[in-house]
Amino acid sequence: MNEIEYIPIAALNQYAYCSHRCWRMFCAGEFVDNQYTIEGTTLHDRVHTVGEGQREETWQIRAIWLKSDKYKLIGKADLIELENGECYPIEYKRGRKGEWDNDELQVCAQALCLEEMTGKSINTGYIYYAHSHQRQLVEISEELRQSAIATIEAVQMLLFTGAMPKAIKTKRCDGCSLYPQCLPQSADKVKRYQEAA
Amino acid sequence: MGTVYISQEDAFIGKIDERLSVKFDKKIILDVPLIKIEGVVVLGRATVSPAVISELLERSIPLTFLTENGRYLGRIEPEVTKNIFVRKAQWQAAGESPQAIHVVQGFVRGKLKNYRQILTRRQRESSDIDLSKKITQLEQAIAPIDTTHNINSLRGLEGAGSAAYFGCFNQLIRNAEFQFSHRLRRPPTDPVNSLLSFGYSLLRHDVQGAINIVGFDPYLGYLHCDRYGRPSLALDLMEEFRPLVVDAVVLSTLNKQLLTPADFITEPLSGAVSLTPEGRKTFLRLYAQKKQSEFKHPVMGRKCTYQEAFELQARLLAKYLMGETEKYPPLVLK
Repeated sequence: MNEIEYIPIAALNQYAYCSHRCWRMFCAGEFVDNQYTIEGTTLHDRVHTVGEGQREETWQIRAIWLKSDKYKLIGKADLIELENGECYPIEYKRGRKGEWDNDELQVCAQALCLEEMTGKSINTGYIYYAHSHQRQLVEISEELRQSAIATIEAVQMLLFTGAMPKAIKTKRCDGCSLYPQCLPQSADKVKRYQEAA
Repeated sequence: MGTVYISQEDAFIGKIDERLSVKFDKKIILDVPLIKIEGVVVLGRATVSPAVISELLERSIPLTFLTENGRYLGRIEPEVTKNIFVRKAQWQAAGESPQAIHVVQGFVRGKLKNYRQILTRRQRESSDIDLSKKITQLEQAIAPIDTTHNINSLRGLEGAGSAAYFGCFNQLIRNAEFQFSHRLRRPPTDPVNSLLSFGYSLLRHDVQGAINIVGFDPYLGYLHCDRYGRPSLALDLMEEFRPLVVDAVVLSTLNKQLLTPADFITEPLSGAVSLTPEGRKTFLRLYAQKKQSEFKHPVMGRKCTYQEAFELQARLLAKYLMGETEKYPPLVLK
């Protein structure tokens, strides 16, 4: 492979949610809003106004560009906090803790960028859940790093080849805004269908 | 959710906040939230404000211009979707490929089976007419479709089936004031043909909209590929819907006496027949109602409107061409 494109951090989260959805969004350029995506966007609009501030002993920077040349990642951080010389990423999410496990991946990817940008190792990050107003600690473990790196490689491959992953019906389809485009059950339904004679 | 038809000559189409507002003679004649609109069709002459054009483009709502008699002029819509995979599959199947043959079989079978359905239902309703000969002719055109692997021969079967159906179309009209002898186009010179032509023109707008949404190139078809510059794929996908939507509306309009001969005007010299402005309003309303009527989609097994079915069939066609499904099931209703 020559000249690999930088991949958006957001694509990792989508890929972990559903590789077919990731293909639709980042290869086929399809995106449709639904109530969940709109809630998420307005939440980020609030967060994504570049700025910095102090909160007690903590220095906060909002909405800055993150980049990693090593992993070919590009994206934006919702919030970076610096405390006692340590910095960690905070990702804002609608919904509640533990709905899907793909959010941790995104925090880990942000940490990888930050490590490269600051030259310091980062072992923690947070997810802030808007519904419960709670921060959840994400430990940037070796295991999580490996899983993030594997996902980065998978997304790179997907964007490079454009090969469409099969659409598979799962519980996640219920909240997916691309369901009407994807129709994951159509293959089975077409197979079973008997046209009237 | 639906298409807004504006047939008022010299109307002004503007936007107020999040609503489309149509004025005539300084009075508001229509006011609809933009969120409920899937398409805007202007018949004849109207003024469209620049704000409306950018708003419709922003929301990916196509704006179509037809002449006052429903002849298609053109449309304004955002660039084709970024989904090049659909178009790639569409072009790869062009010509006499196995996929092209399969989908053409589907388009022709869908149309002829829906024709037959109209005839058998009419036959059941009344014992005083005999359609059995035409139904048999239709059966004879349907039977060999799946074993015919040549697109020109399939066109022949489609022609034979359509000839049988229109050969008895007059017997489907239960209104002494209207007669039909044979299909006439460009221009239609009798009321029934003018209604059919007008209806097919509206249907084409709807199906082309669905095809664009899914990401197809509307100009590359499989059954209709004999002439360049025609939206061939829209014409292909229209086939199965012609009897289901347009013929059904035309027949129920005539049979329920919702239009009278006074609703039509004849042009001097050419003899071209078209609807009066009032008649056009009536027919547009009936067509829009038909599109919103619900039925159970035989493949997806859920309720849907014809308006939704246009897009659903276009998606099923895309899925077949992209190898996600093993066949293209045309919409055939019992």
